Amino acid sequence: MFYLRLARGYRVPDLGRWLLTALAAAVVAAFLLRSLGRAMSDPLGGADPLVRLLWCLPPLAAVAWFAAVAARSVPARRPERIAGLTAAGAGSRRIRALIAGEVALACTLGSVLTLLAFLVLRNDIAGPSLAPDLGMGVPLPPAAPVTLLALVPLTAGISAACAVPVAEDLPGGRTRRRTDFGVWRIALPIGLGVIGAALELIALRPGAAADGRPIHLPAGLGTTSTAALGGWAAGALGLALLTGPLLAWAGRLLALGRPTPLRLLAGRGLTAQAPRLGAPLAILTLAVALVLTTIRYWIGTPGSADALPAVEACLVLGCAAAAVIARLAEVHTDRRDVTEVLLRLGTSPRLLFGAVALRTLAVGTTLLLTGGATAALAAAGLR
Amino acid sequence: MSAAPPDNDVLWARGIVKSHHGTPALRGISLGVREGEVLAVTGPRGSGKSTLLGCLSAQLPVDEGEVWFNSAPVHTLNRAGRERLRRDRFGFVGSEPHLVPELTARENVALPLLLAGAGNKAAYTAADEWLERLDVGDFARHRPDRLVQSQRQRVSVARALAPLPPVVFADDPTAPLHREATDQVLRILTSAARSHQLTLVLATHDPELVRFADRAVALVDGRLTAPAAPVPRGTSGAPAVTATRR
Repeated sequence: MFYLRLARGYRVPDLGRWLLTALAAAVVAAFLLRSLGRAMSDPLGGADPLVRLLWCLPPLAAVAWFAAVAARSVPARRPERIAGLTAAGAGSRRIRALIAGEVALACTLGSVLTLLAFLVLRNDIAGPSLAPDLGMGVPLPPAAPVTLLALVPLTAGISAACAVPVAEDLPGGRTRRRTDFGVWRIALPIGLGVIGAALELIALRPGAAADGRPIHLPAGLGTTSTAALGGWAAGALGLALLTGPLLAWAGRLLALGRPTPLRLLAGRGLTAQAPRLGAPLAILTLAVALVLTTIRYWIGTPGSADALPAVEACLVLGCAAAAVIARLAEVHTDRRDVTEVLLRLGTSPRLLFGAVALRTLAVGTTLLLTGGATAALAAAGLR
Repeated sequence: MSAAPPDNDVLWARGIVKSHHGTPALRGISLGVREGEVLAVTGPRGSGKSTLLGCLSAQLPVDEGEVWFNSAPVHTLNRAGRERLRRDRFGFVGSEPHLVPELTARENVALPLLLAGAGNKAAYTAADEWLERLDVGDFARHRPDRLVQSQRQRVSVARALAPLPPVVFADDPTAPLHREATDQVLRILTSAARSHQLTLVLATHDPELVRFADRAVALVDGRLTAPAAPVPRGTSGAPAVTATRR
């Protein structure tokens, strides 16, 4: 009841976040139920059902990622609500439970709607083309869909609960945010990048054709060699981990020398926000690079395109983009005070706007570099 | 009464009325501030000191009444005009330091100068000088999160003084400071004002701090009470009391 009362105070962004979570959960639930239906209708010992189930992991991870980022942004974006709850006696554990419960509720709603659609379609409504996906004609053990569908709210709820800031980081508490990257956070991705580049060179050396291409890639992408896949994985991970430090360095570069107020505000601001913006932007860049490479391969190789991976890619991209938007909204509200101070000092809104534009340009350039490198590594292994 | 303000007042307000979402904060304030004087506005919390400073410093538009700065109307200015006025003519110290967290102390202090179009070298030289004067020179290259609150407040005072604006508004600037630091910061504020002929409007809830001012007015529930007697001052000619009761 308490939760429902809180929901009455929802505004458009909260509702949007809630609906988006429910929609994404519904799509993941559809993937899970399809793998169940296939497993029921396929004869035993047929195509591997475990592989099909594993294919549901990327969308599940995407929903969990979005839930986590969105849950983290809630206290920062609605400080008055958190302050009110704290004043009313809700501790950080209660606040965490409320936010995680809200995410889990949205996921449950989406999953239940998909389950209903699944059950309705199984009643001979769907045509014969869909019959094997729904496991039509095979009795449905009730525990199976319930267990599968509990996965979605559980995963999303737990990741949301883990992401909510602890008490002293909540608005009003004393916070000391990390504004720099430790040595290992720079050394590790560079090391990974070097390993990735080396493996990729091995895969591309003149005599590499003799190695064979033993690994079957999903989504109709054909086969590739172990070295190429390993090189891509290490390189992509390294580049993703390096995104945050790269953004911070781009900020330093902007404010280099004797900066004008525009360059100073844009650069220092970017450096300060890099630790928070790095992860969501890196994941979005990785997803976009992967999807673009796949599309390019599909266009170049007729008949390789596949509908299900396309839906999955849309879901992952959507979640990654929504996570970036949630993080940007969090940073924006967090900086309301700073903007106010700058305006009080007489900074013109035009200068602030220019600083944001310059910062966006720097971020875009950095992401184009890392994303381009990721895509190039992937394309090299796909020939 | 004619609309034109007296020539010798740098700031002049007549019948200011201001309310926040229907709650009256100022109920008709008339006040004149002489050039180069240190005026203390005292009153308990919630008496309207901050709102008065906000209206005088062109941060808040008044609901009714007039505010003039150097014989030019402030109450008729649009947002951009008020922005320019704040940037070029006014300095402001609040009860919280409100520094830009990603800039170092000296960048924070230099920022108003840079915004006003000063050269890099001049801006940073002035910033270093003022930080030194406020005893935080050693922390010039630290970001605010590495300073303690009283150091941040000194940086914020330096930021207000560095461009040497004709008028400095200080809204309870000593709230985050303890006794010793309070005295030092106020001494620096007032001595800077006197040596550079700046006008200082100082709001404080602590009646004891009136000793730093040339003149004090008291505010209760958005009205000026009978103005306090001019504070005796070593230098000649304590300015005449111009605050009037409506």
